[in-house]
Amino acid sequence: MRGGRQLASLVLVAALLLAVAPRPARAHDAPQRAGAARLLSTHPSLGVIGRAPRFTLGDPEGRPVSLTDFAGRIVLLAFIYTSCPSACPLVTQRMAVLQRRLTAAGLFPSRVNFVSVTVDPDRDTTETLARYAKGFGADPRGWKFLRDASDALRPMLAAWDEWTKPLPAGEIDHPARLYLIDGAGRVREIYSLSLFDERQAFLDIRALLVQPGP
Amino acid sequence: MRRRTLSLALLAVIATASVAVAEVCLSPYVKRLAAPEKYLYVYSVDADAKDNDFLAVIDVNLASPGYGRVINTVDLGSAGNEPHHMGFTDDRTKIWAGTLLSKRLFILEVAADPAKPRIVKTIDDVSALTGFHGPHTYYALPGRMLLTFLSSADGAPPGGLAEFTNDGQLIRVFKNPDNAPYAYDVAVKPEINRMITSSFTPLRNYMKPLAQWDMKDGGNTMLVWDFKERKVIQTLVTDPVPLEVRWSLKPGATHGWTNSALGDSIWFFAQTKAGSFTAKKAADLGKGCLPADLRQSPDDRYLYVSCFMRSEIQAWDVSRPDRPRLHDTVVPGVSPNMMHVTMDGKRMYVTNSLLSTMDYSGNFWVRLVHIGPDGRLKMDPFFDVDFTKLPTGPARAHDMLLY
Repeated sequence: MRGGRQLASLVLVAALLLAVAPRPARAHDAPQRAGAARLLSTHPSLGVIGRAPRFTLGDPEGRPVSLTDFAGRIVLLAFIYTSCPSACPLVTQRMAVLQRRLTAAGLFPSRVNFVSVTVDPDRDTTETLARYAKGFGADPRGWKFLRDASDALRPMLAAWDEWTKPLPAGEIDHPARLYLIDGAGRVREIYSLSLFDERQAFLDIRALLVQPGP
Repeated sequence: MRRRTLSLALLAVIATASVAVAEVCLSPYVKRLAAPEKYLYVYSVDADAKDNDFLAVIDVNLASPGYGRVINTVDLGSAGNEPHHMGFTDDRTKIWAGTLLSKRLFILEVAADPAKPRIVKTIDDVSALTGFHGPHTYYALPGRMLLTFLSSADGAPPGGLAEFTNDGQLIRVFKNPDNAPYAYDVAVKPEINRMITSSFTPLRNYMKPLAQWDMKDGGNTMLVWDFKERKVIQTLVTDPVPLEVRWSLKPGATHGWTNSALGDSIWFFAQTKAGSFTAKKAADLGKGCLPADLRQSPDDRYLYVSCFMRSEIQAWDVSRPDRPRLHDTVVPGVSPNMMHVTMDGKRMYVTNSLLSTMDYSGNFWVRLVHIGPDGRLKMDPFFDVDFTKLPTGPARAHDMLLY
């Protein structure tokens, strides 16, 4: 019950923060809400950044989930942890907004899926992750919250150029990125958590569906 | 309800405060320092090109017994490279550092022990990889680095842009257009999906002593790009050789400034309501200034200009962004060049080498300017790192980064 109340508070704070003015980005800052004048691109140039490193991790039910399971579908991959006070709940909130939009467009979960990987498996138990996912309205048919034991997770994080550094008060510093992976398993865009705009991500996904690329 | 109001008020305070205390003149994607700086990295050219070039680490932790001294140097393993600029990756774990006369590019790891950076990768021939020569600006994008190049591989225009993964794999390149082939700096304004690049001169010119330069072999354009499309959408004409691109730091602002090196002027650029950009001359810096660098205060109140030829630093009040007003000047020593303002806006480190082919003094140093709450500039009488008496002899100190 207490966890549920905390999560509700997080979601509320996330919603409030989404409304504040933009400010300079920090490592693990809250995403900025761009003003109404933000210019979005309907024809983004999404070069092939590289092959997405493969992984197999566990979902909240303990079932193994591999990146290759999503072959043919576009994947948005985020690295989060549930006790993160600002950036992670905010970006998860934005992913939830994007999920609704993609669902309305008939693209989720059939053509686009989300994966959120915890970088804090010691505290993020399967139960914690499941509660977190439910709190944000994640559709389990197409949005997986994954974890693995620290030792097993470390090589996966390294392959994705992710690292973790414990901070005082239980926070974890880590590269604040989301990855957009095309149906052929290639990274086509990397977003900063602090400047992530789900409206542009929607346009990027649509562009990849229309023109899958080389 | 009261709790919600309090939360919003607190968030507003946090948002406002972070504007006034933030590192400036870095890509918005770079992780910001959470505490005052402890180390100053100075990218350095061995002055007579007989010893290897290096990255110097200066202790700038006020509480340290080593304060104000070079505590380490990272040997680049070769001489005559002309180390010039460098930049952090988005997560601030690596520094990308290139060269203007050789084709080498170095990636250094700094997070494990910031006092002891180490080279983790050397790209020996960046020209073979990209088709360009002379990487200048190292601009972090999420998980990637965006580099400007001053020339094509043959040393002539066009220059352009190249994107790499953080560990040095080339992703793609973009050549400057035929009608604006010169390149120099880049800065992105993600909020409005715009990127601006500026223009200098290519290798075939800057490799010669200054007296032999063809002053017409340089750019007078800034290019406005659709950032997501990586496509040039507008060309702005300025005085000759617009160098640094500095977007305003104010939330929602869509204007900025550049320094024209040969026009001795500051130019103001801004987005119109229709979405296009305009550029106009906003300040005359005085004949013979040769503004080599342009920096900002974290509160967006001042611009700092280094007059390389007149040996002074000028502070311009940009409370009215399109009408800068000269606020103060200071003389840090001969030929000030690169400046680096701290996150609190109270200190500015200064070096005084521009290019081996342009330097007119053999007296090289790193010095410190204090910036008062009234925006006045004052030299620190004690912080003076002499770069003429290093174990390998004199070295030209150029670009700086803080950790």
